[in-house]
Amino acid sequence: MAGTLENVKARGKLVVGVKNDYVPYGFLNDKGDIVGFEVSLAKYVAKELLGSEDKIELVPVVASNRIEFLTAGRIDAIFATLGVTAERAKVIDFTTEYVSAAGPSVLAAKEATVSKWEELKGKSVCGIQGSYYNKKMTEEFGINLVAFKTQPEAYRALKDNRCIGFVFDDMTLQQKLKEPDWASYKIAVAPYEFQPMAGGLRKGDTEFHEAVDKAIAKAEAEGKLIAWETEFGMPHSDYIAARAKAAVAKKN
Amino acid sequence: MFGLDYSWLADPAYQQWLLTGVVNTLNLAALSSAAAILIGMLGALGLTLRIFWLDALIELFVEVFRNTPPLLQMLFAYFTFSNLGLRVTDPSTGLSVPLLSAFACAAISLSLFGGALATEAFRSGIETMPRSIIDAARSLGYGRWARFWRIEAPIATRICLPGLTNILTNLFKTTSQASVITVPELMYYAGQIYNDTFRTLEVMILVLLIYVVLVSILTFAMARLEAFMAFPGYGRGH
Repeated sequence: MAGTLENVKARGKLVVGVKNDYVPYGFLNDKGDIVGFEVSLAKYVAKELLGSEDKIELVPVVASNRIEFLTAGRIDAIFATLGVTAERAKVIDFTTEYVSAAGPSVLAAKEATVSKWEELKGKSVCGIQGSYYNKKMTEEFGINLVAFKTQPEAYRALKDNRCIGFVFDDMTLQQKLKEPDWASYKIAVAPYEFQPMAGGLRKGDTEFHEAVDKAIAKAEAEGKLIAWETEFGMPHSDYIAARAKAAVAKKN
Repeated sequence: MFGLDYSWLADPAYQQWLLTGVVNTLNLAALSSAAAILIGMLGALGLTLRIFWLDALIELFVEVFRNTPPLLQMLFAYFTFSNLGLRVTDPSTGLSVPLLSAFACAAISLSLFGGALATEAFRSGIETMPRSIIDAARSLGYGRWARFWRIEAPIATRICLPGLTNILTNLFKTTSQASVITVPELMYYAGQIYNDTFRTLEVMILVLLIYVVLVSILTFAMARLEAFMAFPGYGRGH
């Protein structure tokens, strides 16, 4: 079986699974193009592998189907807010980690008095079906999780007071708070963890894995990730700055 | 075997989820089936009365609930009723919350959906009854009500049983759509488990088997009921 790297080169195109609904990592701009922090990274990788950042096909994926897309061969790599977990590592390989993302936090009305995860015990909290932390929410925190298929339903249910809060990725909830509709809401409970994010590749594809990692390290050393943070309105993280420094040091 | 990995089944959390899922699926199916049969009987009975406005009302009910997707009905009940004012004040928080829980919304919409189909099934039972039986009953001096309860209803029930079995199995399977409005039934937890473990195929196979077993029990019971109720000279009892 030919490796992915050979396939990609023969095809002259890198097929990547990205988000198209997740500011700032992958989203649609005013013109309807998919852009974002991870989209820029994926294009950079395409440029390193094939010589042009246009030699790429962006496939919009969602959390619940992206690993299936990868293992079934529909895409060559995932750059779609993929958190590094031990469970996933059994099924796929991770590229080098490039972001440290806050885990879930809880969006609630400004009047809400809860501020700790432990205080949510026995309370109804909206969520999304298939989120990686759902088991922890129910088992460890004793939350009565009311999980919807997609985000719009969960936001609607929160406004209807079907739940006292909405547990979801901190970055998304922070962006939501910027909308005028949500001015009377706040992040009531802060994330309990930070999780590294990485790209996802099919298991055991060493040659391709090394090529992608090399491209990511090069982007870090050139300060590209810091530039993309600025471009997509992200707060500058110490994590990315430290990785850029380490990448430069390693190169010299 | 075949590279299938069921080691996740050893996790007590997943066992608990599957069990809760099955219990909620059974509750939802049982409740909505019973209500659907009752609604169907009342609907068909209403149609035999030949009252103009009642006929129109029942027909409107059947058309609306039979001709729209149950999934949409559930979403409508869940999100729209509360916005139309079906709300109460929660005494513990003082917040205005929706009156109907997700389970209630699912049970109500499935009952009405099944009830609309059952109305038609019972009606077909009544209408396909041989005229000669009714004429015979009439000639023996049965009045309108006695004729309905002692002759028409018992025979019509037997005629419409196969159709009713179809409706009930359909209703049982449609409970899986309640996961969309967060009712934690079997499909809801199945999705959560394969999103956790990535054992999509294994979870799907298991859930498929659970549905096959549960629905088979239902159809077996209905077949027994049909055999028990069969009467000589008619249908299978022939």
